[in-house]
Amino acid sequence: VKPPPFAYARAESVDEAIALLADAGEDAKLLAGGQSLIPLLAYRLARPSHLVDIDQVPGLAGIDDSGAALEVGALVRHAELERADLPGALAVLAQAASHIGHLPIRMRGTIGGSLAHADPAAELPVAVLALDGRIVAASDKGTREIQVESFFTGPFTTSLQPGEVLTAIRLPVPPGRSAGSFAEFSVRAGDFALVAVAAAVAVDDEGRVEWARIALGGVDATAIRVSAAESELVGAELTGDAPRAVAAAAAAACDPVDDPIADAVYRRELVAALVGEALVRIRAELAS
Amino acid sequence: VSGPIGAEAPRPRDLALLTGAARYVADLTVPGQACLRVVRSPLAHARLAGVTADAARALPGVLAVFTAADLPDVRIPIRLPFASTPRAERVLQPPLARDVVRFVGEPVAVVVAEDAYVAEDAAELVELDLDPLDVAVDPIAAALPGAPLVQEELGDNVVATLPLRYGNVEAAFAGADVVVRARLAVQRHTGVPLETRGLLAEPDTASGRLTIWGAAKVKHFNRNAIADLLDVDPGSLRLVELDVGGGFGVRGELYPEDVLVPWAALTLGRPIKWVEDRAEHLVATNHAREQTHEIAVAATRDGRLLAFDATAWVDQGAYVRTQGILPAFLPGHHLPGPYVWEAFSVTSHAVLTHRTPVGTYRGPGMTEASFVRERALDLLAGELALDPIELRRRNLVPPDRMPFVYDLGPQSPPIVYESGDFPAFFERLVERAGAAAERSPGVGVGVAAIVEMGGIGPFEEASVEAQPDGTLLVRAGVGSLGQGVEVALAQIAAEELGVPVERIRISFQDTDEVATGFGSFASRSTVVAGNAVALAARELRARAAELLEVEVEQVDIAAHAVELAELGAISARYEKEHPSYSFGGALSVVSVDEETGRVRVLRHVVAHDVGRAVNPALVRGQLAGAAAQGIAGALFEELGYDEQGTPLAISLADYLMPTLAELPEVESVLIENPVAGSPIGVKGAGEAGIVGSPAAVANAVADALGPAGSAVDRLPLTPARIRAILRATQSP
Repeated sequence: VKPPPFAYARAESVDEAIALLADAGEDAKLLAGGQSLIPLLAYRLARPSHLVDIDQVPGLAGIDDSGAALEVGALVRHAELERADLPGALAVLAQAASHIGHLPIRMRGTIGGSLAHADPAAELPVAVLALDGRIVAASDKGTREIQVESFFTGPFTTSLQPGEVLTAIRLPVPPGRSAGSFAEFSVRAGDFALVAVAAAVAVDDEGRVEWARIALGGVDATAIRVSAAESELVGAELTGDAPRAVAAAAAAACDPVDDPIADAVYRRELVAALVGEALVRIRAELAS
Repeated sequence: VSGPIGAEAPRPRDLALLTGAARYVADLTVPGQACLRVVRSPLAHARLAGVTADAARALPGVLAVFTAADLPDVRIPIRLPFASTPRAERVLQPPLARDVVRFVGEPVAVVVAEDAYVAEDAAELVELDLDPLDVAVDPIAAALPGAPLVQEELGDNVVATLPLRYGNVEAAFAGADVVVRARLAVQRHTGVPLETRGLLAEPDTASGRLTIWGAAKVKHFNRNAIADLLDVDPGSLRLVELDVGGGFGVRGELYPEDVLVPWAALTLGRPIKWVEDRAEHLVATNHAREQTHEIAVAATRDGRLLAFDATAWVDQGAYVRTQGILPAFLPGHHLPGPYVWEAFSVTSHAVLTHRTPVGTYRGPGMTEASFVRERALDLLAGELALDPIELRRRNLVPPDRMPFVYDLGPQSPPIVYESGDFPAFFERLVERAGAAAERSPGVGVGVAAIVEMGGIGPFEEASVEAQPDGTLLVRAGVGSLGQGVEVALAQIAAEELGVPVERIRISFQDTDEVATGFGSFASRSTVVAGNAVALAARELRARAAELLEVEVEQVDIAAHAVELAELGAISARYEKEHPSYSFGGALSVVSVDEETGRVRVLRHVVAHDVGRAVNPALVRGQLAGAAAQGIAGALFEELGYDEQGTPLAISLADYLMPTLAELPEVESVLIENPVAGSPIGVKGAGEAGIVGSPAAVANAVADALGPAGSAVDRLPLTPARIRAILRATQSP
């Protein structure tokens, strides 16, 4: 488990990273916390010609909640995110971060790295999907925002273009009174989830749901939303059997993957259990 | 605690291990060393038409690429004579594959390069010309006629069929009120030391000798075997043990790499280092455990056991390795367990498959057999509507029948339980669990009673030598795998010599310093070497009494150590004809989440008759560590394969070793029932904690599942499997 040869350069700014990527060509990879890329290199599953290290680039490690959208810098570590005091449904992002790996991994791993890596079972893509996130990408052509719905294009693939640097994630503050909850199931603490659920709900003054997002990880080629379950929630109240019914709708709406640890039938059962758990917690949060 | 024996003396290496100052073989670097990388088969079964290494050899930094054609035509031998058969001898593994590859991970070529990075780059450039052949993956299917052959020359895949009979089974079944039948399976899994294997072979051109750093477990056997395979004088080889990060039966056996690395060092005249990586470890180091038993148990209506009849298919993997057919031999001998049976019959088939060869892993055979027997007993208890604890109480060997013997006829040595009050020991386990063992919804309690076989012979030699500096040097042929045997031996020597433990130095690491040694396995080091140390110490006292012209009781070794140095090394040998059998048990309390299938072990208690606890802290550590591995085998770990024989667990992300978050604090009950007639009275302790643990966990899970629990028939009990069991019973 020694990586094949690669060239290495450390960037001191986003502009320098863009320039280094442009020089290095299509087989270059950005390196930030290294918690996914380094194991891939060691197992020779990734063979980049160049690594452009942005881990110490200044200005990308802040969380800014002063605007209409929460802006999270690409280099914010999971350990910082999990401690962040985020309002309403945005708290689902901090909860998601707390489920990632083990503490040493969370000390180094970054939100930008996790999204760009696009592991279909990773936590942060699910949370960002549930929060209608926008991904900010910089290149020599300037800066663009990518809606999260069109960001994840397949397992470990995104709509980032060669030469682009993911610099931040923007998360609009949900309408009204909102709450979010993240739930996942893994066989061991710290493993990738067999199924992960991020749920976010906003209610009006009567307690009727006016906005709902349910996103799943670990069930498909990318993090997915289950709109059939979301639309069952909107206009309803989170009382009685509603969480269970919505959970059943979510389970029915997805088409989970099979693997040696968990078959599709089992994953569907986990979707039902975890969506139900997340919605019950949201109900408790909104009631308090 | 009156003397050094019974004290909780700390292990001398603890501080180094805890502060990162330990020295493992990977930490050792010598001038001029080169690195070796093994090129392994990517296919489970293929004809090897050729190996092309031109591109690898052309890579800058590459020193050599070797294939089987470069090596002497040798096979890795069976270490244990009683585990060998003529058929087994025909399917031993060559250090590098010749003509056919038989499992994913089989060594095919080696690359030697200036560093480990270049070696791995070059290994990728070695082209293997492989023509795929049909594979046999499932042991039961592989045993059937017409299955793809793993070793063509055998004619079939059953390398051995081992019958074991006691009493009149047919008559016992004919007289039974109740017969329960079950098909019970244990999955492929193994010991996974956190330190992978590794070697550094360093030739000395001046003396012509070769030092091999990184040895473990069985240094003297390996020295002699390597000398034999490479056709050199055993005296020209020196094997040295460094800090060892766990053994568990798999580390330290003679593997292909143990021949390849010294051979390359002698051939190239350079120090050669090889450190196994985790991906290699999971396909190259011995696998273990996989077997399926079909068992019928006969009993009376009031819960008296009469007889059992079992057939077992035990996976051997693609070759027979150093432990021979032991993986298939041991389970049958442990099926009777601590109970009185009128009769039993076991037929075990050792079956070759196109997968990593199988060896022994902590508690070999006894752990699998205990799972099978104890699950079957719980099924019987269910059938009889009898409390499982009560069923065991009624059938444990009573103390008035000790020593208790199962005479297995002329074909096999008898099973002899020397001593012990099994029913009383069992009550201590049940009492320890106390009220926690009471039922509540979603919570189950499971119990297992076992015997552990340990302390196997044939003998160990040890010596004690007073040193001019006043210390006492003890030499013993054991290995320290992290268990702390060195402090246990020091305590025994200190006790016998009447000196503080700090005055004892133990030498065991270097074959140049210690003449003989069978090594550390089968819970034998403290038993066999410990008794040898005690005998040598007593002999030193006797000789000191002569020299000092005082009575033996009056000898003050500490005061006269300098004078006693002139006696030189006083040696003694302790012979052990039969293994020791110790009673033990495990009791587990688990919760099962019906929605997700998750099992949590809430409490886990193990009890073990250790004879005499030389160092109770070490014994409890051994029991807890072994129990953790037992829980791991019950709930988490599996070396799965797909239909093509491709391994599914290739990293610790796929091989689910539990962490502390998944494990309870293991409670232990130490039973001290000294062995009569032995110098120090100790029994083995290294394996007991694992033996009953998977059975107890599985029985607890079955108990928590209620009526659905009868479907608990194979390990590991993963959340997905628990859900599948519940789904099957919940669906209309």
